[in-house]
Amino acid sequence: MPERTRRRHRGVSTAGAWMLRLGLFAFCAFPLYWMLVSSLKASHELLASPPTFWPHEWELRAYRKLFHETNFWRYFENTVAVSALTTAIVIVAGVIGAYSLTRYAFRGRTLVARVTLLAYMFPPIIMLVPLFLLARELGLTNSRPGLALTYISFSLPYALWILRAFFQSIPLELEQAALIDGANRAQALLYIVMPLALPGIIATAIFTFIVAWNDFLFALVLIGQDELKTLAIGVNDFFHMAVVDWGLIMAAGVMITIPALLFFVTIQRYLIAGWGAGGLKG
Amino acid sequence: MSRRRRQALIGMGLLLPSAALVLVFTLFPVGYNLWLGFYAKHSLRATSTWVGLGNYAQLLGDPDFWRSVWLATEYAVLSTALQIVVGVAAALILHQRFPGCDFLRGVALFPYMIPTVIAVFVWRWLMNDLYGVIPYVLGTLPIPMPAAWLTHDTIMWVLIVLSVWTFFPFVLVNVLARLQTIPPELYDAARVDGASAARQFAHVTLPQLRNVLLIVMLLRGIWMFTKFDVPWLLGFGGGAGEAIRTLPVFTYQRSFTYYQAGMGAALSNVMFGLLLMAVTIYFIAFPPAEEANDA
Repeated sequence: MPERTRRRHRGVSTAGAWMLRLGLFAFCAFPLYWMLVSSLKASHELLASPPTFWPHEWELRAYRKLFHETNFWRYFENTVAVSALTTAIVIVAGVIGAYSLTRYAFRGRTLVARVTLLAYMFPPIIMLVPLFLLARELGLTNSRPGLALTYISFSLPYALWILRAFFQSIPLELEQAALIDGANRAQALLYIVMPLALPGIIATAIFTFIVAWNDFLFALVLIGQDELKTLAIGVNDFFHMAVVDWGLIMAAGVMITIPALLFFVTIQRYLIAGWGAGGLKG
Repeated sequence: MSRRRRQALIGMGLLLPSAALVLVFTLFPVGYNLWLGFYAKHSLRATSTWVGLGNYAQLLGDPDFWRSVWLATEYAVLSTALQIVVGVAAALILHQRFPGCDFLRGVALFPYMIPTVIAVFVWRWLMNDLYGVIPYVLGTLPIPMPAAWLTHDTIMWVLIVLSVWTFFPFVLVNVLARLQTIPPELYDAARVDGASAARQFAHVTLPQLRNVLLIVMLLRGIWMFTKFDVPWLLGFGGGAGEAIRTLPVFTYQRSFTYYQAGMGAALSNVMFGLLLMAVTIYFIAFPPAEEANDA
């Protein structure tokens, strides 16, 4: 191929590559851009036809309404509380459980590991009716710990599964060396295993948190009182107002997305590590 | 007590909290559900009546049930296939180094990180029949387009596109991780043999991605078939919701709109049975011959 045609070829393929990159960017980012500008438009402009891609007038009306006329902060607080409680219990039980599964020999160990994998495959909706009836029986409807318990029911099996994989990847020799040097089991766990497993534990914690943070179904079924609602069902209620206020819904979307994104950007490193090990359910 | 025995006891003790939680809140509900499927029971009242296989017999004769199974299958197959196509394409785009590629990688993961409720509401607004920006833009194109998309005939497509947008990053991340482990020598060899980019993709990249794609297909297929929140949130409050009443939505409605807990449990069991069947077929079709060490 003569030199000139080859160069032109490369020019075309570079342009093509940039088109694809821009296309991917637009596909992922445009809905988010539209959410943001819609939340900042004046009411009349929001419903204008043709729609304006860059607002003529900027307005914080929707945010003022969100903060002063709805229970948004209450929902936010509830979501954080339930997600944090779920994560704390799953991580404590999961870490010591996975440690036991990889470091102690006892009968039924393999069976437990298999049952865990099976439970990980159960889609949550299959447990909808029995968990609802169980929660009612135990007086756990309309309660934040009750909601956390249902999230634990589908987070713990997969946390155990992922943590087990992480613990298996830590060589036993390191601990044995520490034990020979006079450390006890607890010290070996605390100073040898935990630091090495930390990225895995953080990744698992994030996944657990996200499952609880995103849930809609169980909150819908178990929570009826407005003061106990989580963001998912609280924002869902905005839809049932007499007139649907799209600006308000988009503002709520922005307020929920920003902390999630900030959090996500800071922990991206751990997230990729965990993805490789077991994946995120959902 | 021997040392070995003591170690075993400590091991079981450490496992006890997890085992108890999984037993009470995961395994017990699944068993309870199997049993509930044989009863007619109101969701909010304590009484229940044994009906044997009555719930299942009733389902077999219910056209709405069959329709929901079909819709769930259609949704799972189409949205999973498209997620894989878009996810692999995005992974190939992001596998190259170019200015801003780290930024674009971050942006491409955004949709997965956004709570489902928000993702669905943003798309309901983008596709709004009166004020939506996408119908407006499509309307300016010189091709005939439906004027409104959240209608009986087209809402399934909106559901699929929205689901692909939300969930393709799962495919992207898994495929990208695998792409990075393909030895570059394979491509060098193919290039020396004069293979075009398309042939390199078909004969080097795809075979290497086989295992990860099979696992991603299985997981995404299961999760899409049992997805409740996306179709429910897209469809409620409009007549068109009926056109995307998939099996999980149908199950929810039986249990909490009509308060038929026994029927709801039976439906969950049917869903579980269908999944078991699909997984069995999957493992017969794609036996895990070479140890799947990726994904």
